[in-house]
Amino acid sequence: MQDNVILSFEDLDIRFTLRGQVLNAIRGISLDVYRGESLAIVGESGSGKSVLTKSAMGLLDANGSIAGGHIWYDDKDLAAFKTEKEWLTIRGREIAMVMQDPMTSLNPLKTVGAQILEAVQLHQGLRGPEAKAAAVQALADVGIPDPQARYKQYPHEFSGGMRQRVVIAIAMACRPKILICDEPTTALDVTIQAQILDLIRTLQKKLDLTTIYITHDLGVVANVADRIAVMYAGDIVEVGSCDEVFYDPRHPYTWALLSSLPQLGVKGEDLYSIQGTPPNLFYEVKGDAFAPRNPKALKIDFVKRPPYFDVSPTHKARTWLLDPRAPKVEPPEHVYKLRERGGVGYV
Amino acid sequence: MSETREKLLEVQNLSVTFGSRRHPFKAVDGVSFDVYKGETFGLVGESGSGKTTIGRAIIRVNPVSGGVIKYAGEIISGKVSRATDKRVIRNIQMVFQDPMASLNERAKVDYIVSEGLYSIHRHMPEAERKERVAQALRDVGLLPEFASRFPHEFSGGQRQRIGIARALIMEPQFIVADEPISALDVSIRAQVLNLMSRLQKERGLAYLFIAHDLSVVRFISDRIGVIYRGQLMELAGSEQLFAHPLHPYTKALLSAIPMPDPVRERNKKLIVYDPDQHGYTPADPPRWEELEPGHFVRGSQRELDAYRKILL
Amino acid sequence: MSLFKKSADMLGDRLNEQLARDLDESAVLNDDTLAFSFAEFHPEAAERGGYSNYSYWRATVRAFFRNRTAVFFLCLMAATLLFTFIQPLLPGQKDPLEVHYGEWGLPLNNVPPNGEYWFGTNSIGQDLWSRIWAGTRTSLFIGFSVAVAEAVLGILAGVLWGYVRKLDFFFTELYNVLDNIPQTLLLILISYIMHPGVSTIIFALSLTGWLGMARFIRNQIIIIRDRDYNLASRCLGVPTRRVIFRNLLPYLVSVITMRMALAIPGAIGSEVFVTYIGIGLPVSIPSLGNLIQTGRSLMQMAVLRYQLIFPVAVLAVITISFYIIGNSFADAADPKNHVN
Repeated sequence: MQDNVILSFEDLDIRFTLRGQVLNAIRGISLDVYRGESLAIVGESGSGKSVLTKSAMGLLDANGSIAGGHIWYDDKDLAAFKTEKEWLTIRGREIAMVMQDPMTSLNPLKTVGAQILEAVQLHQGLRGPEAKAAAVQALADVGIPDPQARYKQYPHEFSGGMRQRVVIAIAMACRPKILICDEPTTALDVTIQAQILDLIRTLQKKLDLTTIYITHDLGVVANVADRIAVMYAGDIVEVGSCDEVFYDPRHPYTWALLSSLPQLGVKGEDLYSIQGTPPNLFYEVKGDAFAPRNPKALKIDFVKRPPYFDVSPTHKARTWLLDPRAPKVEPPEHVYKLRERGGVGYV
Repeated sequence: MSETREKLLEVQNLSVTFGSRRHPFKAVDGVSFDVYKGETFGLVGESGSGKTTIGRAIIRVNPVSGGVIKYAGEIISGKVSRATDKRVIRNIQMVFQDPMASLNERAKVDYIVSEGLYSIHRHMPEAERKERVAQALRDVGLLPEFASRFPHEFSGGQRQRIGIARALIMEPQFIVADEPISALDVSIRAQVLNLMSRLQKERGLAYLFIAHDLSVVRFISDRIGVIYRGQLMELAGSEQLFAHPLHPYTKALLSAIPMPDPVRERNKKLIVYDPDQHGYTPADPPRWEELEPGHFVRGSQRELDAYRKILL
Repeated sequence: MSLFKKSADMLGDRLNEQLARDLDESAVLNDDTLAFSFAEFHPEAAERGGYSNYSYWRATVRAFFRNRTAVFFLCLMAATLLFTFIQPLLPGQKDPLEVHYGEWGLPLNNVPPNGEYWFGTNSIGQDLWSRIWAGTRTSLFIGFSVAVAEAVLGILAGVLWGYVRKLDFFFTELYNVLDNIPQTLLLILISYIMHPGVSTIIFALSLTGWLGMARFIRNQIIIIRDRDYNLASRCLGVPTRRVIFRNLLPYLVSVITMRMALAIPGAIGSEVFVTYIGIGLPVSIPSLGNLIQTGRSLMQMAVLRYQLIFPVAVLAVITISFYIIGNSFADAADPKNHVN
């Protein structure tokens, strides 16, 4: 493992057994996460983005298992972990997670203070008034006004945005090296959403965190990511820096994803729309998983899985279009427009 | 906005109150707007702002505690005659947010789509009903063979289109679409939006498009109303609203729109809205006023004067 | 299960056929120009991609049969039920009411189990084996009748109570009044008014039994009545009756079957109880209740204990089987458990 790589997925296969059938949720993924970066994993529901990150925390559902490959962290192969005891050395301590719905990660019967205190005592080894002071400070750090009074309140007395701040405070109390944010703002209102993203970014800078965002919202991605991995049907189809993926995308799925955004649409005209639905992963995917929905698919796309082609040292995509033998295919015009228009939004 | 256009739906000073008499909670407080024939009216607000309540008051699910709702000139809120009730059912339909919850899991698509037919055309021949279902499914881009399947066999986008087919079969004039795409995957949203605008063009449908995402609303709506805590803050044609937002809450909403463009996102300046910033006094209470044709804002006399200056 | 797999495979095949239409795999792999030419686009195939074949009932049955204990009890109960009904038709069975006499004209009372009287005889010389099966028939009949009556009345009242808001007040008050009358008292009263018999017992037990069912159904209905799919039906002007039969009850099938499965042993238990306190069925109608009642009075004498043990064993088998089958079925019918 390179020095600057903190977490590395290597040839990872994850399978689920569902109603007697095998579902290939992750199909041979390799991905490096660099120390201190902010990586966004973009994909639709069912693309495997949550499964991928959950596998690094030992949180796969009981019917799921790692069928092959490795997850390297700190010279340990997390994929080989068997017992809950091993996972407890990683989960929370080294890698923490913020979920979509703050209410599911908070205990409604305990005060917010008690829940943070628990984390502080467990992970920072503080006791008594010292621990309490640290807990109040943790609340203050995530921008909760009047932390002394809020400390004694229950989760239902907080608004959605404030609750998400509490969840972040609890996660941070464990002093993790990596923070995984699973759709951290989907359940929140637009105005609150931006504030939470700001908060995570501030904490990241202050504490030298590595953050991994999982989201389907390209607006959020544009805001937070240094690097982007685009997932489709259990595979990473394109990975590159934020600007590379937004301004010079190469995979037809990324094109389609960007072009279909209503934010980039012109009123009165149809949006670019992706036909059909993602494949059912109960069946073996042959070739390029996106091919059946891609009107410009090549014949080979249906037969052979494309390898990664490098676009730049930091940018690669898994599509036959990058093969020198392939015909030249222009991306939809929206993709070009994106840079010219600089997005829409208010004037 | 020309006044010659035909008003299809009029909401006048609408209030909806929940809770007990002792602890009333005003979910909607004095909201007024019109929806013209064949247009899309976007209603934007955060969760709990009352936007869903308004939609449900129109389809007569939530009782109205003040004001009236008129459809084609006829009052449809409160106690109405059986004939009016039937008319509302025929003409106003709803598309729901969560395609997972809005279809009956234990019924086949065939039944779900033709549910409305059973109640308005009691004695329709089976063959005709089947044909109508097949047509409705084709209209929303699904295959007629899907009729014999159960909803859980479909993906979110397909389910949402089944929900639209169910509404379409009634041949309505007006559809209340409550966050119809926010529960869908990004790659599916465009399909549903395109479908909605195609149907609007073909059938002259009017939509009340309820959403929290201003960028989506801008794309689909002719006019937009911004709602905050049960009250409308601003109402204008969508380009007008984006070009000249007046109310501070509208400005905050606009500044927060997530944009799929890294450069713009990096330079984004957030505006935070504080409802106390207005400093309303009993002497100068906020009013709902039309400042330029079709552009309404809520504000005190002092604020309205300031807004007028901006528009000049 | 194999059928399930097969249909999934067939679907997969059909899908692949469609996608690979016109594609000769080896030709594509060997010919670059062919490989890198555009494939035909089939929007219909794209639409079919997300299809999953899941059937609620198939998954329910599968989940149920995966539970070994439940299957064991299902077999055990099926065997018991079957035997109860074919027992009188078997050769060499005795009449449950006939008193058997010995060589000197004396009744063969309290004969311990032997080759002739498999479960022995009772205090007046009747064959316990045939009495137990006759008793089981009576008790099961009572159990099923009460469960059905409870279900019909309870579901009807519960649905109206839960769904029609205007009736909520009426039913709540009715429930409060009826629920406050002690059931035992009511049973005793009815037994005194009407002459004792099977129909009296069924009537008395059904009279109060539906209350619990109604309240249970009401609570379930309230949980699901405002879900979006029901609102959609309201927007479509679907009449209440159809909403109840097509939207609400199908969702409650699993919980209703469980309640009914538990109502049967419950009713048998109640019958045993009222007969036990001496106001139930007369001795002339054998039932598990009066068999246990007679058995109880002989419990002090170790030699006669068999008269209690046999009927109790049958009662236990029936009760436990219904309980376990009901529970496992309810679990199996919950879509959350269809995951693996």
